[in-house]
Amino acid sequence: MSSTNRSGLVGQSVQRVEDDRLLRGNGQYIADLDPDNVVHAVFVRSPMPHAKINSIDASAARRAPGVVAVITGDDLKDTTHPFPPLLMLPGLYTPMYHALSADKVRLVGDPVAVVLAESRALAEDAIELVEVDYEPLEPVADIADALSPSSEPLWEKAGSNVVMDHTDTFGDIDAVFAGADRVITERFECQRQSNQPMETRGSLVMVDDDGHMTIHNATQSSHALRWLVAALTDKQSMGASLKAIAKNKDRRSSFASGMKSFLQSNSDDLKDQDNSGAAAQFKKDKSFLGAMNKIGVGLLAKESYPTVKAQDIGGGFGAKGSIAREDIAVAAAALSVGRPVKWIEDRIENLMDGGQAREESMTVSIAVDNDGTFRGLKVDMVMDQGAYPGFPVGAPMISKMIKVMFPGSYKWDAYEIRSRIVATNKGKYVAYRGPWANETWARERMIDVTAAALGISPAELRLKNMIGEDAMPTAMITGPTIDATMSTRKTLEHALTLVDMEQFEADRAEAAERGHCLGIGIASYHEAAPGPPNYWDSINPGSGMLMPEEGYTTIEADGSVVIYTSQMPHGQSHETTYAQVAADELGVALDDVKLVYGNTDKTSFSLIGTGGSRGGPIGGGVVRKTSREVRRQIAEKAADMLECAADDVEIIDGNIHVAGVPARGITFAEVAKQAADDGAKGDKYGTPFEYGTNYNGAGDGGWSTATQICVVDIDLGTGKVTFPRYLVVEDCGPIINPAIVNGQVRGGVAQGIGSVLYEQATYDEDANLQSATYMDYLLPTAMEIPEVEVHHLETHSEGFENDFRGVGEGGMIGAPAAVTNAIENALSDYNARVTTQYLPPTKILELAGQISPD
Amino acid sequence: MTDTTSNTDTPRLQAERDAGGSIVDLSVTVNGTHHQVSVEARRPLSDVIREDIGLTGTHLGCEHGVCGACTVLIDGEPARSCLMLGAQAEGTEITTIEGLAGPDGELHPIQQAMMEAHGFQCAFCAPGFLMSAVALLDENPDPTTAEIREELSGNLCRCTGYQSIVAGVETAVRVMKESGK
Amino acid sequence: MKAPPFIYHRPETLDEALALLTEHGDDAKVLAGGQSLIPLMGLRMGRPAHVVDIGRVPKLDAIHVDSDGAVTIGALVRHEQANKSPAIAEHAPLIAQTMPWVAHRAIRTRGTVVGSIAHADPAAEMPAVVLATQATMTATSTRGDRTIAANDFFEGYLDTALEADEILTSVTFPAWPANAVSAVTEVARRHGDYALVGFVGKLVVGDDNVITDAALAFLGAASTAVRVTAAEAVLQGAPANDESFAAAAEVVSAELEPPSDIHGSTAYRKHLAGTLTLRGLQSAANRIGASA
Ligand SMILES: Cc1cc2nc3c(=O)[nH]c(=O)nc-3n(C[C@H](O)[C@H](O)[C@H](O)COP(=O)(O)OP(=O)(O)OC[C@H]3O[C@@H](n4cnc5c(N)ncnc54)[C@H](O)[C@@H]3O)c2cc1C
Repeated sequence: MSSTNRSGLVGQSVQRVEDDRLLRGNGQYIADLDPDNVVHAVFVRSPMPHAKINSIDASAARRAPGVVAVITGDDLKDTTHPFPPLLMLPGLYTPMYHALSADKVRLVGDPVAVVLAESRALAEDAIELVEVDYEPLEPVADIADALSPSSEPLWEKAGSNVVMDHTDTFGDIDAVFAGADRVITERFECQRQSNQPMETRGSLVMVDDDGHMTIHNATQSSHALRWLVAALTDKQSMGASLKAIAKNKDRRSSFASGMKSFLQSNSDDLKDQDNSGAAAQFKKDKSFLGAMNKIGVGLLAKESYPTVKAQDIGGGFGAKGSIAREDIAVAAAALSVGRPVKWIEDRIENLMDGGQAREESMTVSIAVDNDGTFRGLKVDMVMDQGAYPGFPVGAPMISKMIKVMFPGSYKWDAYEIRSRIVATNKGKYVAYRGPWANETWARERMIDVTAAALGISPAELRLKNMIGEDAMPTAMITGPTIDATMSTRKTLEHALTLVDMEQFEADRAEAAERGHCLGIGIASYHEAAPGPPNYWDSINPGSGMLMPEEGYTTIEADGSVVIYTSQMPHGQSHETTYAQVAADELGVALDDVKLVYGNTDKTSFSLIGTGGSRGGPIGGGVVRKTSREVRRQIAEKAADMLECAADDVEIIDGNIHVAGVPARGITFAEVAKQAADDGAKGDKYGTPFEYGTNYNGAGDGGWSTATQICVVDIDLGTGKVTFPRYLVVEDCGPIINPAIVNGQVRGGVAQGIGSVLYEQATYDEDANLQSATYMDYLLPTAMEIPEVEVHHLETHSEGFENDFRGVGEGGMIGAPAAVTNAIENALSDYNARVTTQYLPPTKILELAGQISPD
Repeated sequence: MTDTTSNTDTPRLQAERDAGGSIVDLSVTVNGTHHQVSVEARRPLSDVIREDIGLTGTHLGCEHGVCGACTVLIDGEPARSCLMLGAQAEGTEITTIEGLAGPDGELHPIQQAMMEAHGFQCAFCAPGFLMSAVALLDENPDPTTAEIREELSGNLCRCTGYQSIVAGVETAVRVMKESGK
Repeated sequence: MKAPPFIYHRPETLDEALALLTEHGDDAKVLAGGQSLIPLMGLRMGRPAHVVDIGRVPKLDAIHVDSDGAVTIGALVRHEQANKSPAIAEHAPLIAQTMPWVAHRAIRTRGTVVGSIAHADPAAEMPAVVLATQATMTATSTRGDRTIAANDFFEGYLDTALEADEILTSVTFPAWPANAVSAVTEVARRHGDYALVGFVGKLVVGDDNVITDAALAFLGAASTAVRVTAAEAVLQGAPANDESFAAAAEVVSAELEPPSDIHGSTAYRKHLAGTLTLRGLQSAANRIGASA
């Protein structure tokens, strides 16, 4: 098989296919679309963090110049369903809420109405004329407020602002803690951050004369958006829906057969599911069952589902994986006004409610022996999910990822984690690049705290407890299998060889004379990229069915190669890497491969799209598997034409020939034409050659690993922190395109540095947002981010034909730990203890004892 | 070349008059093409370029001057097109990202260099970085790495960590020196 | 984030501009470089009914050096123009040192030096330069010209002695003493941001290394730019050495009570002001003897 992989593109830093259009300014981002007759949507947003809505008077706004319509929360109640509870975990209450708030607002920025006008400016004029009578409620600003039993509940049916409280225990935790030499405890707090892609969110919805809706949207998850819009905007009566179903035999039977195949292919996962969460949810809020029924029947009855299209997307980092309330409101607005409706979020809106993350408090206890052997680990975590849970992935799902990953690459005898989620009057919590990353931060921080207490060096303590190849295969205490791809130890050992500690000590002494403190910090971790098959089951039993993704490789009648993916690229360079993989498999040039994405009419369903480091291993794996099969089909056909055995067919640069006789070769076009003439026609795309597969990326490992080491330089006069050195040793298995991998790692590290030194979504004690512009939410610039050395290990997972592993998240996951560890190390003469992730200059000088807190 | 748009009676402009805003007749040259448009006085130059003239390569990331994605050249000098009224650009020559490549489509050295260096990822910020880089190299054809970083610090990128963008400018410096441009 | 509607005026002469301001008074705003006014309008924090764009008014973009060396900067001189001006480098070195600290080049090409003074942001550099150099503001209206002294000009946060019908047509910086040295330094959260605290200092040092005159002005340290005269007094007559500078820095830290905000506490800013004073004075002193 490998004899045909002559182009050798995989492993090369080939130039990006995307760049020609993007660097010429010919990209097509959502805001660039400007259909005739479009109206611009602007949301009326609450200026109050927490209030009852007594009334809304939109009459003056409706009369304002250029206004086409004003839709209020009450209007939308009649035309849309509320967001349904999707993930009903044991111990969790999941609220239901409409796209626009009608009765109560829960954060500054909560949308209560939407104005449609001839220009964005005119709509902004009109939103000022919508009069809302608010009756203020006590704001819930932070975790402490929310934990207080007397706080005003955001969700009455939840009973309090603690919407989840659940404990998972692995091993005999009490015995292990009782038997260890020492127990060390520390509390770590991470501030609220925001994903902040450079392009804000946006949606353009058009409804054609037949009632078919097309949604152009900057979404990481086109199919999930399609289904949710279909589900929530269909509000005919139950009777009408049932009648429509009764009339439509085709739909009934296709539904039945679809259901059957779903049940068959996911039977194990379905059996494993724990339904106690749904039962508890039902006890607290019976209405969800009715809503789910109506949505289900409505979906069945629906004539046509929307088409979602997305082309170029200006970054997402998880924030565009959520289906926004605004997305639903814009779709409903387009249905009601009969003109294209365009919503381009502005930066203030984005900073208010475009997605926030990471606000977690974690009390960590380590039971350890005096020789440094880790025994037990206890975590008491509270996550602040803000006002509305991100949909479909929010704090509850992420709490489960934290649960699984917290023990890290180390061996433990027992582990327990209590996970609480609270509701507060702040922006919605979404997945942000490595959504579970605070497990790495708190654990790696805690290891340094422990090392200091025991008088052992941080590197030594890590090496003493880290699982090595000799112990493999094994499993994390939380369940997932560990194989050789869990190579964290190798990354640490290699990283340590890259640092000259003697030189560092000399530099440190020299810096001290200038009033500067140098410090060094380490962070080591592994991440599921995508993880072994039992990773998702460890997160939540039965959720393994989220893993697979379907994609196709096709050869069209003219011989061109077209790949269909459900991935939704937004900066990751899929067009390049997938072309590299397919071109190598098929023996064609990079330019011969075209990638189709972002159009739900053409691609297969995927709940996730791009996220969770899936692009390389799963999406890339699909491309490799399907191209390989298509290559086999072509060889078979060509063998007939060339009158040789299929095994003797060689393809080089698109020339299909008998091995060793390239002069008598035939082209893809010739073979495709012959196949078409002979009646070959794929089921899905109707092309002469096509193959699709539903692939879950499984090896027994599927881990990516890394160690980051950085040196910080702190100026005690100013509290400014710079980085004389930053290095990452990463292992994501075989690399498709090194330049792209380096870019992912460096971009992630930059965000992690931002997390520690610059970025905080700041609210005051009354939950008013203080960081609503880029003057106050600080993204680091080229002057703040250092050069990052990236070193690669490429551990292979033996025995698996497809071994790519994800690399999009690791940079971000490790950086906050490495940086905060280095800062504590730098300030060790001042007995500093770093317990917050956010360390702006004021905090640095407080830690260094130069100033006292105000 | 002239590309004249006369659209004084659109519902948008009629409503603008009702709202009490002035309409201005604006004449500008963008990438060598002359344009005559009627726009709201409050319309920032960025919106005029993108929506009235239809060149969407210039992007809006923050609309308050911090992110730099909207940077264009006005009479050869870099400026934030979101912090200028279209009306203030009357009579100027504007260059946007679409104006960098040669008439035959040949990429500008900075575009070529960014491609080689894998400068960008999502590339939403690219128009601003490219225009800032062009302005820098016009003035200082041989900048140090520190000068490049300082000049580019007026542009935000969320994807790359900047190293590849800085490398792209360094590559362009090399290429331009070699080709004597 | 779009500005509210307004009536737009683009006067071709100063008289026309002044007449418009007389007519519309408080309802009008002068638009110079727009680098502060336009974002404020976009945020709907500024809502003038009339915008008077002075961008086409002739002769306001001049930098004039008079025979005794005083430098007059007209209302339309952009930061970047000042940054590159040989006249400013020679006759107003403190302004030349200041310009690179103002925002980023793509903002400096539009924003004006005088507009920054008229805007009176306490975290902007130019108001501190005005105080340190004791510049004179020339305000013009249909009632004629009047001059305003530096110490009378800044009245509060974004508030000056200018009347609604006046244009600040120029600012005059007195001749730079032959034996003066200066430094500008600041710390911002990120490069190019408005400073957390900034230092603008000028020393006149005699041949015997004794300081004969000192001006220490700060940005980001109060609701307006401020001078710390108590620290200047410490330097007056003292030798130009680290010991004197440290003593002045200590006084600065003690005297200033900067407001606390999400980017820095009061204690932090006090500490920072001390650091910047020491480093700024050292840097200025390093220039002694170098050709001014
Ligand atoms: C991202 C960003 C960062 C910045 N960073 C800095 C910084 O670090 N330091 C700094 O100093 N500035 C900074 N600025 C502000 C910038 O320097 C502005 O240009 C300056 O403050 C105002 O000058 P302007 O000509 O643009 O004034 P405009 O925006 O046109 O006007 C500002 C105000 O002054 C009034 N005004 C202007 N000129 C006159 C006049 N001649 N007579 C009467 N009134 C007048 C206007 O009516 C308005 O109220 C920054 C701006 C941005 C967007």
